[in-house]
Amino acid sequence: MVRLRPEETGLKELLDRILDKGVAVDTITRIDLGSLDLLRTKAHIIFASFKTADKIGLDFPEGTDFNTPAWRDLMTKQSCPVCGMESRREELEEEGCPWCGWNYRPKER
Amino acid sequence: MELQTKGKVKTMENTTLTPEKDSSGLADAIDRILDKGLVINADITIDVAGVELLGIKIRAALASFETAAKYGLEFPSGTNLETASWKEAMIEKEECPQCGKRVDREELLNIACPWCGWESAKAKKRKEMKVRAKVEVQ
Repeated sequence: MVRLRPEETGLKELLDRILDKGVAVDTITRIDLGSLDLLRTKAHIIFASFKTADKIGLDFPEGTDFNTPAWRDLMTKQSCPVCGMESRREELEEEGCPWCGWNYRPKER
Repeated sequence: MELQTKGKVKTMENTTLTPEKDSSGLADAIDRILDKGLVINADITIDVAGVELLGIKIRAALASFETAAKYGLEFPSGTNLETASWKEAMIEKEECPQCGKRVDREELLNIACPWCGWESAKAKKRKEMKVRAKVEVQ
């Protein structure tokens, strides 16, 4: 039986979810007085983890160096469904999880 | 009596080896955010009576020093990036699943945790293969 991410409940999981999915807030407010347009505000706000931000193409502050190995890892790493540790996707699929040994198609010997 | 105390000592040892992972709590939440990094982008405009009064554009990235260094965020001018700590920060680290210490990822994955001796599946497989090769040679 494959358990998905055991023992993760509460605040930690909530936070993980919020960061991974990202939060977008779009608001427009308008206050008119008679026929006079008194106040208009527009706000587009987005919160996300680095990984999600990179995936959906958010702007990073100027001067960020995108050539570090960490950026490459973001795209090539996957987390194991059993232990949740990250490893290279091909390794996880071909040889199994290097951390806990999980393998969804064990090689026949 | 002696036996009982011995038993107690043993359980004490066991409890010290279990991971001290409280999966909830503010400290853990902050750890998580700083470790993953948080991007906050915002465009805000405020018009008063048809005149654009204020426009705000925010491109913010929030992260721990280690994460910031790994992702190449720019540091304030004058920061000396040649210190030993920065080089240390660039080494990829991972939390040991057993004791929770942050250690060099390669070492943890290929050899064992230098703190508690935990071995990954990969390290165990390697060891097994080495033993088998030795047996074959003999």
